[in-house]
Amino acid sequence: MMKLTYSHLKVVVYVVFIAIILSLPLFLDEFWLNRTAKYLIYGMLGVAISLSWGYAGILNLGQGLFFGAGAYMLGMSLKLASPTSLEQGGQTPIPDFMMWNAEPNAVVDLCCINHVSFLWMPFQSQSFGIFMAIALPVLIAWLIGTIIFRKGIAGVFISIITLAMVLLARLLVVDAQSFTGGFNGLTDLAWFKINGYEFDPYTVSTYYLVAISLVIVLLITRVLINSRAGLILQAIRDDQNRAKYLGFDAASYQTFFFCVSAAISGFAGMLYVITAEFASPTFMDLSFSIAIVIWAAVGGRASILGACIGAISISMLGASVSENELFVESWQAILGLFFVLVVLYMPKGLAGIAHGICRKLTVNRGEG
Amino acid sequence: MLDTVFIGLSIGSILLLVALGLSIVYGSMGVINMAHGELVMMGAYTTVIAQTYLGFNLFAAIPLAFIVCAGLGLLIERLVIRRLYNRLFDTLLATWGVAILLQQAIRLEFGLSFFGIHIEGLGPGLQSVTLPEIMTESFTVGEFVIQPYRTFIILVSALLAVLTWFLMYRTRIGQQVRAIMRNPDMAAACGIDVKKVNALTFAYGAGLAGVAGVMMSGFKTVMPDMGSSLVVDGFLVVVVGGVGSLVGSIVASGILGQLNGVVAFFSNDIIARAVVFAAVIAIIIWRPRGLFNYKGR
Repeated sequence: MMKLTYSHLKVVVYVVFIAIILSLPLFLDEFWLNRTAKYLIYGMLGVAISLSWGYAGILNLGQGLFFGAGAYMLGMSLKLASPTSLEQGGQTPIPDFMMWNAEPNAVVDLCCINHVSFLWMPFQSQSFGIFMAIALPVLIAWLIGTIIFRKGIAGVFISIITLAMVLLARLLVVDAQSFTGGFNGLTDLAWFKINGYEFDPYTVSTYYLVAISLVIVLLITRVLINSRAGLILQAIRDDQNRAKYLGFDAASYQTFFFCVSAAISGFAGMLYVITAEFASPTFMDLSFSIAIVIWAAVGGRASILGACIGAISISMLGASVSENELFVESWQAILGLFFVLVVLYMPKGLAGIAHGICRKLTVNRGEG
Repeated sequence: MLDTVFIGLSIGSILLLVALGLSIVYGSMGVINMAHGELVMMGAYTTVIAQTYLGFNLFAAIPLAFIVCAGLGLLIERLVIRRLYNRLFDTLLATWGVAILLQQAIRLEFGLSFFGIHIEGLGPGLQSVTLPEIMTESFTVGEFVIQPYRTFIILVSALLAVLTWFLMYRTRIGQQVRAIMRNPDMAAACGIDVKKVNALTFAYGAGLAGVAGVMMSGFKTVMPDMGSSLVVDGFLVVVVGGVGSLVGSIVASGILGQLNGVVAFFSNDIIARAVVFAAVIAIIIWRPRGLFNYKGR
């Protein structure tokens, strides 16, 4: 009989996880599937954070920026396709909030109802929305990445810049009321459509759309970090100067993975809009971005799957506990305390403990 | 125009109040204290409680808040920070946890609300502090209207900046702090009790946050989550000024305060904040180590 090795066990863990999320529709009703889909999307954000923080050593405190960008881009398309926009009486669909904010004698057409509304024009095509939901976060990440990594800005300052970026974006989105829907965000969205098939958020098909996306993202990320580029990235994280002297262009690798992390977050934002039927500036709240980091830290920043499971389980626990009136406030306190304890005593998170157990169970002390 | 400058100056001085403590703690210990805003909040609540139960006015609350927050700082240092030296990112995360705990402690009235006991002045609601009478009536000098409370804030932050400078550059303990800033191991080898000095530094930074809280309570509503945006502002000041540089923090808070005031005068508060964020990002990209970087780390 073949001996169980560490890497076999790892494959087993992945298979079990994937099997669980794919079989959940057998046990849950539509309401719970919709909620679970949201948690899986948070899990995807955990993957993105783990990639940039655990593997690239970049603590991004503004992950919500990419998530929000993805959400808003597809949200704009779905908003234009929604009945509330189609029934405004113009030649083109017009979002209701633009009507509310319009000047009394404005032309009722998407091109010129206000001076920036023409930017919405291409979003009448849903494919353009999908494209932008990935492209915009990647573009932002590429811009930030090229500047900060070329400049050699290190560690904490990257965190501060990304944090300032997300707060800046939030302020601008809230302020540009007639363009973004302001504080209310985009609501009353249409359902996502592929080839005429509509994804009702409260059905098994939308759940599978999310679950399979998560599986694909997990697998692609695994392949990426085990690739040559992924190994070089980890070398840069461990000792940047050494990697540079070995002839690697550290900034390009860091920028590339920063962009991948942004693309995953944008994709997650897009799925969230499909599932939750709204996009809101709260995605760009500081507390949301930090919550993502907390999930990943508790799950295990250095483990893609650990961070993913951390995000899923904490958000799930948080949502269920908050329904109990007694726990609404104390849950936050428990989370805070738990978090301090995790940082102090389990710097590698729950995944670190799981890794330890796996190592004891198996004979081969192979690579981690 | 003079009015705008004055408003910018008072915004800047509040930024400085918040940033001073952060700057000292980050500069000397390399600790990013995300709970700093919550310490400010604790200072504000100390004022509320002192006013409600002890009849203290705002002035009397200043030393009290300093002591309360410094004590709290010592506790946080002992329980959390001390275990995380040389793990910069982890201090950021752990103190964020502490921040949540402090917020919830106020919201839940230290857990007493579970037993149906309610303390007036705590809880999730909004609180306010009444200013002493001499602080409320504005008076004019020539054509210039002076609001006494704004002037008072500017004076207090100037005074604290001078006091901090004095402590850092003219006292024995300040010398030790600066030695630790340069090289903690060498400082320890020279017989400096690094742990003790760090604990005192952290407590002093927390105490300054407490004083900032008293000042904030005079013109802002006091509520449990008033601190979270402050820590961001404070950090921007520290980063722009340069880590560990007192002069840098003062200049940076002045610049950012003026920028905020002037832009707000011409457009609105949201645009002003956006411009400040954008300026900070630009400055960090232009000078990653801040305007006045403290060499020799």
